[in-house]
Amino acid sequence: MKPERSVLVRIDPIRCRGHAICSLLFSEGIELDRWGYGRVAVETAEDGRSIRRAYRAAAACPNGAVQVIQLDSSGEQQPPDKPPLHVLHEQ
Amino acid sequence: MTGGEVLGEEDADGLPDVRIGSLGDYGTWLLAGPAQKSTGETLLEHLKRLGPNRCSSPSVLRSVVRDSGLRGRGGGGFPLARKLETALLAPGEPILLVNASESEPASRKDATLCQHRPHLVLDGAAIAAALIGATEAVIYMHHGSHDVYGALQLALAERRAAQLADPVWRTLMGPDRYVAGEASAIANRLEGGEALPSFSPHPMAFRGPSGRPTVVNNCETLAQLSLLVRMGAVAWRNGGTLSSPGPQLLTLVGAVADSGIVVEVVGSATIGQVLEHVGVSAPPAALLVGGYAGTWLTGDVAWCTPLNRVALNCVGADPGCGLLGVLPREACGLSETARLVSYLAGESAGQCGPCAHGLPALAERMEAIARGSLRHRSQAQLRSLGDAVFGSGACAHPDGVVRLIRSALDVFDEELHHHRHRRCSGSKNSPIFPVPLPKPRS
Repeated sequence: MKPERSVLVRIDPIRCRGHAICSLLFSEGIELDRWGYGRVAVETAEDGRSIRRAYRAAAACPNGAVQVIQLDSSGEQQPPDKPPLHVLHEQ
Repeated sequence: MTGGEVLGEEDADGLPDVRIGSLGDYGTWLLAGPAQKSTGETLLEHLKRLGPNRCSSPSVLRSVVRDSGLRGRGGGGFPLARKLETALLAPGEPILLVNASESEPASRKDATLCQHRPHLVLDGAAIAAALIGATEAVIYMHHGSHDVYGALQLALAERRAAQLADPVWRTLMGPDRYVAGEASAIANRLEGGEALPSFSPHPMAFRGPSGRPTVVNNCETLAQLSLLVRMGAVAWRNGGTLSSPGPQLLTLVGAVADSGIVVEVVGSATIGQVLEHVGVSAPPAALLVGGYAGTWLTGDVAWCTPLNRVALNCVGADPGCGLLGVLPREACGLSETARLVSYLAGESAGQCGPCAHGLPALAERMEAIARGSLRHRSQAQLRSLGDAVFGSGACAHPDGVVRLIRSALDVFDEELHHHRHRRCSGSKNSPIFPVPLPKPRS
């Protein structure tokens, strides 16, 4: 499979319950607000390491609040799919 | 003249005369026709006055909508052409939703259209449905809007009897709550869920909760659409200005002769001209522009601000849903803001953490400021709390509340000074802007 160029990270504020795991696993992209809810600080991840960390944060959220959306080369959104397993298991 | 592109917006395309009028007044476009009566304009009257709905081919309609530059009139101001094109590109059969809920408590423009010019709205819905290829159009209302419901049911029965080339009409009811009129809340209600906003990384016009492209349009937007398809894009644009093409509907509340009056502005007018039309002869203390989750402007600034997107943005406001709230000199803007913030905080769906925690905290602090128990750091705290809440929700509800508070702190600077010394210039204690009574959450 071709490696992703970049991904878009989103947090569903309705699902977020403030477990804060995402900000531990993907600290460069997600910060916590004053109540402990996740807030996306950097919307897109471009390098392989960040992309992997973003997917890991998405997989670790107990409520599925963190969404990682693949962008195609033109920056257009692709319909979200399940995080590719090879990205999670790599490293 | 050099620099005419910037300064000469009104000169370039505005009509020399401005026409401001209410229902049935000469010179209005949307509100033209019979004056106020108990029932809406019948289909026969409507067709006699405007001719049949010109539903030409989708490609022609698309270019007309694109040329018109029509933006959504429900508050978001999203370009209609882009919404419709997104639905056309998306996979699946699209659904058209007509938002007749008008959740903004003081706004009456959509209700006025639905009750008195229902076929204008329904024509527009039929055009939008034809354009995106939707076979079904769903009209969404609040349980409490009996007048709108009655008028639309009557109009739908007329259309069914006349066997017009319409989509299949359906009505959908939702609870009488502020956020229940938000686009994603309506789409959720359609799916049989609760009328609560939801979060999706995709625009709803691409993929709604049902998985199908879901296009939600405000009533006024659709009425404008039916008008502009009949008139042609160029003629319709002349009803407004370059940045806000087409005529505008406004609801005026507060210190005006007839609070809740709906007027239409055809051409380019300043806010002052509109206020003069409804009997306000001098700049008021302040003006709330764009809705309860809108922006306060000082009366003097507002008075000479033209009613178009660019000019309003320049002074930090937005046309929003077309509400203009007039605050009289003898009222306290901080108390009014506190009341509005309390109402809006109570209307939060409580789904998103920052909104559920942040809005009650904001309301409490705003109340404290209004009461005069103002500490040295209250203002800074209020602002930083607002910054934490802004942009954190699934819908724009918390953002609107923060905008209201920020502008209140800017505009009522002098009043804040009075409150710090436990004085209040508001001699009028009765509320200026109406808010619905708190309702128990169902």
